[in-house]
Amino acid sequence: MNVQGTVQSHTVIRVPDKAHAAMAPFVLLLVELAGGKRMLGHFDRAEPPAIGARVTADVVEKETPVFRVLEETP
Amino acid sequence: MGTRVVIAGVGSTKFGVLPGLSLQNMAAEAARAAMTDSNIPPARIGCVFVGNFVGGIMTGQELLGPIVAADLGLSNVAAVKIEAACASSSAAVRIGHDLIRAGAEDAVLVIGVERLTGAPRDALTTAMTAAIDQANEGGAGLTFPGFWGMVMARHMHLYGTTREQVAAVTVKNRQFGATNPLAQFQKTVTLGEVVASPPISDPIRRFDCCPATDGAAAVVLASENLARQHGSPAVRIAASVLVNGPARITDYEDIVTHDGTVNAARRAYESAGVGPEDIDVAELHDCFSIAEIVDSEDLGFFPKGEGGPAVTREASARNSKVVINPSGGLLSKGHPTGATGCGQIYEVAMQLRGKHPNQVPNARYGLTHNGGGTAAAVTVHILEAFR
Repeated sequence: MNVQGTVQSHTVIRVPDKAHAAMAPFVLLLVELAGGKRMLGHFDRAEPPAIGARVTADVVEKETPVFRVLEETP
Repeated sequence: MGTRVVIAGVGSTKFGVLPGLSLQNMAAEAARAAMTDSNIPPARIGCVFVGNFVGGIMTGQELLGPIVAADLGLSNVAAVKIEAACASSSAAVRIGHDLIRAGAEDAVLVIGVERLTGAPRDALTTAMTAAIDQANEGGAGLTFPGFWGMVMARHMHLYGTTREQVAAVTVKNRQFGATNPLAQFQKTVTLGEVVASPPISDPIRRFDCCPATDGAAAVVLASENLARQHGSPAVRIAASVLVNGPARITDYEDIVTHDGTVNAARRAYESAGVGPEDIDVAELHDCFSIAEIVDSEDLGFFPKGEGGPAVTREASARNSKVVINPSGGLLSKGHPTGATGCGQIYEVAMQLRGKHPNQVPNARYGLTHNGGGTAAAVTVHILEAFR
């Protein structure tokens, strides 16, 4: 399933828990989807997108989605 | 209208790195100090609640209620551990308060205790993330610095809050901590040092984070009549509120407003018959520097978006209307998670008794705000000095 939404906020996790130690640093996004539901996801780049950027991801059950920029925010 | 409840006595260990002291050692030290302070005979205590978050994970020790009660020589009492992450001991105070108010008990001992130092950093991070909904959000790698990093980024985006305004919280609280003998950090820092400290979860940096802390604090709750009989140096509990808030970051309408805090504060002000403008001193849950800004807005001290400028114009410093975190807060006094709620009440009780090292002149009303998880378990207590 593909989802699209708007970046509400972001961070770069540099001090992870044990389960994510090998991934760090990594970008974490809080994304508001159409209809208002919110979703946590990773990002396909090392630097986070701007808050308000439009992003999309393919969602697979029980996996954290990896978002990519849908369109650059002017 | 039930029985009026007071904080009859308080006690605390120093907060900091306390090698060689077990959970039981720390809990007993704080509890004995509180019991002595209260003048209430131990035989009058009907319940012992121990607020603790990760004792089992970090030290392997559970069943702290009966163990600590036995160490204190208290038998035939109800003794249990209560867990609400970083709000564990203030949640226990709320429960004890209700038992006394309902007339079921005359006196309740509440102890908060935690040991967080001595473990590798990733082990501590993993223990803390036990308060994140692992089934839904743990898999993404969310941590608490990560949660507050996202809150900070959005607050800056929406309200223009600056990096320097957020850093000023740490500078202020380190100044207070430098003159609080119980504080873990008794050294001031500059704005430049905060901004240049290593990044943890952007935009949060190391000096934006509270430290890992060991320590214990305790309070004896009692009916006002019992406290008067024994000459306790009491302060009145004008409001004791515990509410839940969003348990997942994705449950928030907007992460810059914490519904648990807003709702707890509203109920506390209604219960006490006062408003935020009446509060003289407040100990807020500044687990991260941005948290003090968000909390101060959600508690009604400043309009939403004005918490940042308020810090830099020193509206919450020593001579302002409401003095925020004169203990040094979690950022400087330290954050032994399960003990923090009782520690905040200790600090405000001493302010209202006129005996605090960073005394707020003529303080009548004091407020404590303590949050567990993603502000998912929130307490607000309003205390009033007897005049």
